[in-house]
Amino acid sequence: MNAPDLASRSSASASAPASSFVAPTSIPDYLDRLRRALAGADPALVQDALYDAEEYLRSELAENPGKSEAEVIAAVASSYGAPDEVAEIYRDTEVTVQTALRAPPAPPRKSILGRFFGVAAEPRTYAALFYMLLSLATGIFYFTWVVTGASLSAGLAVLIIGIPFVILFLGSVRVLALVEGRLVEVMLGERMPRRPLYSGRGKPWLERIKDMFTDPRTWGTLLYMLLMLPLGITYFTIAVTLLSVSVSFIAAPLLVWFGDVTTDLQMDGWQVLNFNGYDLTTSLQGWELPFLLVAGVLLLFVTLHVARGIGHLHGQLAKNLLVKSSQYD
Amino acid sequence: MSELDTQIRKFQKELSAGTVSLALLAVLAAASEPMYGYQIAKRLEREGEGVLSGKQSALYPVLRNLSAAGLLDSHVEPSASGPPRRYYRITAAGQGVLHEWTIAWRATRDSVDSVLEGLTHERA
Repeated sequence: MNAPDLASRSSASASAPASSFVAPTSIPDYLDRLRRALAGADPALVQDALYDAEEYLRSELAENPGKSEAEVIAAVASSYGAPDEVAEIYRDTEVTVQTALRAPPAPPRKSILGRFFGVAAEPRTYAALFYMLLSLATGIFYFTWVVTGASLSAGLAVLIIGIPFVILFLGSVRVLALVEGRLVEVMLGERMPRRPLYSGRGKPWLERIKDMFTDPRTWGTLLYMLLMLPLGITYFTIAVTLLSVSVSFIAAPLLVWFGDVTTDLQMDGWQVLNFNGYDLTTSLQGWELPFLLVAGVLLLFVTLHVARGIGHLHGQLAKNLLVKSSQYD
Repeated sequence: MSELDTQIRKFQKELSAGTVSLALLAVLAAASEPMYGYQIAKRLEREGEGVLSGKQSALYPVLRNLSAAGLLDSHVEPSASGPPRRYYRITAAGQGVLHEWTIAWRATRDSVDSVLEGLTHERA
């Protein structure tokens, strides 16, 4: 055991002094220990770790029908690992495997110019840009889903079928949260859960339904989905506006020099590029064109940086509303 | 924990970092149908010590990362005993990678073996 391991282990047991000495006797108990041992880790990692542990424990229990839950859990400590050990493994493996399997990140560019233009070489930039365009569609969908579901729930509440409807609606929202989490992770690079959280397994189903209502994540997700409409519209507008302005700034000079565009022509106002039915024209004068080209290229790169920035901020928002809230309770 | 134990643990950990991926790919390449986490863990357990000298919980994150890298395919099926299980199957890309990794592994093993042999001769 090297020094960092010891440190993480002692901090894990310090947060749960009793758990280190008494072995857990039930699956919820084991998962609870694991959650506490992972306190402070990435919430998405915590959710995955709990899901994996639960799959293993339940399978082990099903394989050994003769044994009690406590016996199975005691046996598991040597094969799967005690909660503290498992927590340590997840912290470690996440780091090592990711660095081993992912393509090595490009060395950070030193110069300011390198950093400014280097953004175009990173795939994440285009993924974030694509997410901005896609968010209009997903935003409209989520918003419609939540508004329809919520108003139908409220309207049907007076009838018997209102209750199952509310439960189905909240269940569907949780599934959508997982789907959106995958989108955010793939396109924006923010680590999100890859498995749903089965916190209520083993409890009676009434209890589980109650948990769904008291889970802050359910409400966080609803809020997120409502927010997605205005955000989606904003992201889409920013992306389309910046892209079309910078592309036409770049295209106008090139078309004048290599194509057939009449310069210095005002038609119903001032235009960068205008198609009047017969040919392309521009209101710009010849000497202005090189400046326009430079401005267009700069603006295009600024757009890419804006996409990265928005992608990062949105990743944080998604993480806070979709996963963070109830991880450490 | 003694100094020697620490060194052994550390070595096993470093050794397993790469070999676990190889072992998982091999198990899934040999399997006739998709397997889920627990099954894979039990399958590897039968091979005894070595790669799996650590805990079986270490397999799950590796499975997930292999899947994210496109070497494994996965799908979810409901199960009666717990949360829905995720079944893994090797992809064509995974087969290709496994082939290359196997060659790399054998070359490493042979060269390490021959170096170690030199050691025993020297001692004797």
